Amino acid sequence: MLSGDMTMTMTSSEWPSSRAALAKRVLPYALLSPAVIVTLAIVFFPMLQAAWMSLHDYILWKPNAISFVGLKNFFAAFHDEVFWISLKHTVIWIGLTIPSQLLLGLVTALLLNQEFPWRPLARALIIIPWALPSVVIGLMWVWIYDSNYGILNDFLLRMNIIQDSVPWLADPDTALYAIILTLTWQGFPFFAVMILAGLQSIPRSYYEAASIDGASKWRQFWHITLPGISGVLVTAVLLRTIWVANSIDVIYVMTGGGPGYATYTLPLYAFVKARTNLDFGYGSSLAVLFTIMLLGIVVVYLRKVGKGAD
Amino acid sequence: MKKSLSVAALAAAMMICGAAANAEDTVRFWYHFDNADNPMADLVAKFEAKNPGIKIKAENIPWNSYYDNLYTSIIAGNAPDAAMVKMHAQPRLVEMGALEPIDDRIAAWDGASDIQANLFDLTKGPDGKQYYLPVQYVVLYLYYRADMFKELGLEPPKTCDDFRNAAIKLTRDTNGDGRNNVYGFGFRGGKGGHDHWGSLVLSREGVSFDKSGLTSDAGVAGTQFVVDLFQKDKVFPPSAPNDGFKEVTGAFKAGTTAMTIHHIGSANDMVAALGDKVSATTVPECGGGRWTSFGDESTAVFSSAKSKDAAWKWIAFLSSAGNNKEFNESTGQLPVTKTDSANWTLHPKRFVDATIESLPFAHMLPNRPETSDFVNTEWPVNMQRALTGEITAKEMNEKIDKLFNK
Repeated sequence: MLSGDMTMTMTSSEWPSSRAALAKRVLPYALLSPAVIVTLAIVFFPMLQAAWMSLHDYILWKPNAISFVGLKNFFAAFHDEVFWISLKHTVIWIGLTIPSQLLLGLVTALLLNQEFPWRPLARALIIIPWALPSVVIGLMWVWIYDSNYGILNDFLLRMNIIQDSVPWLADPDTALYAIILTLTWQGFPFFAVMILAGLQSIPRSYYEAASIDGASKWRQFWHITLPGISGVLVTAVLLRTIWVANSIDVIYVMTGGGPGYATYTLPLYAFVKARTNLDFGYGSSLAVLFTIMLLGIVVVYLRKVGKGAD
Repeated sequence: MKKSLSVAALAAAMMICGAAANAEDTVRFWYHFDNADNPMADLVAKFEAKNPGIKIKAENIPWNSYYDNLYTSIIAGNAPDAAMVKMHAQPRLVEMGALEPIDDRIAAWDGASDIQANLFDLTKGPDGKQYYLPVQYVVLYLYYRADMFKELGLEPPKTCDDFRNAAIKLTRDTNGDGRNNVYGFGFRGGKGGHDHWGSLVLSREGVSFDKSGLTSDAGVAGTQFVVDLFQKDKVFPPSAPNDGFKEVTGAFKAGTTAMTIHHIGSANDMVAALGDKVSATTVPECGGGRWTSFGDESTAVFSSAKSKDAAWKWIAFLSSAGNNKEFNESTGQLPVTKTDSANWTLHPKRFVDATIESLPFAHMLPNRPETSDFVNTEWPVNMQRALTGEITAKEMNEKIDKLFNK
């Protein structure tokens, strides 16, 4: 930190110009390097390693039989029934979770943006689902859905909506949707908070001008509120899409992928293949495939929606 | 820069110190106990007092990821010096070259003659060498609610037909709300449930993991029997496809199920919840034979251990009379030494009897590398799909046959 201290105590004119210039050039890199090195070591190195493993027959308990196989693992994935099942579930998973979270978050944010007593408290409470660890949420909802003691079945039975307990998580027709509901509950506060921040940056005068012009509430929402928060929405949807797509913790805790493959998503399948079956080659190739797909979605999204927002 | 360098240097120094502390005569031992408080501490203290030159670092590794952690630690070069291990892991560990043969050490060990007769044969390695030293064992049997059987005038089931009839009668509505709240049998459809399935399927004549053993008519009929119990007779709780150990024992203790299959490890818990209302018998005879699971647990010395002598001393200590009793009082399983078995009083007699009566037809899963995948993914996934009607019983058996006989 010697050079840093010196530049602080002396003005640059007191330095020989070349040394000062050098110090100025090097300093930012020096300051950045710890973060960059850590990122390289814990993000980029494992990424490269995964890509390398995906091209090999890499089964952990056969350390002497690791061999280069080119794209074999990728072709195997395309002929793997479970890959397609998982892909279908991943599409449903993202396609339902994100819009539900967005909608619920939007409604919550609009409500919280109204004036009412105890508003700060309500705003603090709404963050709870987001602040709870996923494992706690998973275990909590397993109890809610429990077919013998669960509150959901009890409630629906008392309301006479169902005649017999439904094993929500043990029935392949409902398991995935039950977990999607859980994740929606967990993730909507993120949207609510982001959108609320966006709402507060819209000047009041816009609404006043609009109401003087006789614009209805709906038109105000459509022409002022939505454009006002569109930037926030684009970013929030992008971030959540990536997080939700990769999130396996809640699924893992609630069903472990079961019953059968009913709640397998691609990242979960990759995880099970690598961590449980110890087939790191195939697991990595699934992870690499999914990364490429997700990257494609993100690029298309930014091109289409990002442009619209401008 | 200098600061970050010095931090790095400090970290490196700490790692070296850590490695040094692990050197010579410290034995890192991995084990898994369900018991949350650490009963290992007493045994460690006792051992260290007797062997002043050796330090034991015993780590309780969570069961759900025990083997994931073990395999990855071996590959990462950070394996423990000794660990608790089960038979299904042995083929892989041998293939990885991770285990140290202990034939010579056993031959020179006084305690060897006190180990129950056939346990060394049962735990022999795939290459004929001995890597495992048995430390505890259990045999699975049928738990049943004696009070419910009596109330309905039923006898403990001797055959699969008895079993089905009893399960159908036991499945009923006892609180008068028009819905069944007691189910005949608590079936474990999640990981670990292959033991339940095995008793109802592998027992049948001609059924095995060998080629076409499961795809035979008898094999398919066995799996179909399980599927029908769930889909047609509805004698399992609706949550059965996902249920694991916690759910199955929980439901039995709560009175939601009238029968289930498990070993003596849960006997004291069951008695604490149900008292005399719970009893035990052997699993039923199905299709001309009986099959139940032998639950083994051994210890082994790892080939990467720095002091193999110290590691051996420690595991031999755990399997010696007296210590083995103490060990099994913590795990709730049964001791492997003749001395400790002779004066075993931890479990009520009816459960010890059921265990011993089950020994003649107790089996282990095939001693093959594929068995891990069978236990962890192939069986649970396909059983769940069969139970929920996504695949047929025949398709399930074909998948398992394919895994073992590619």
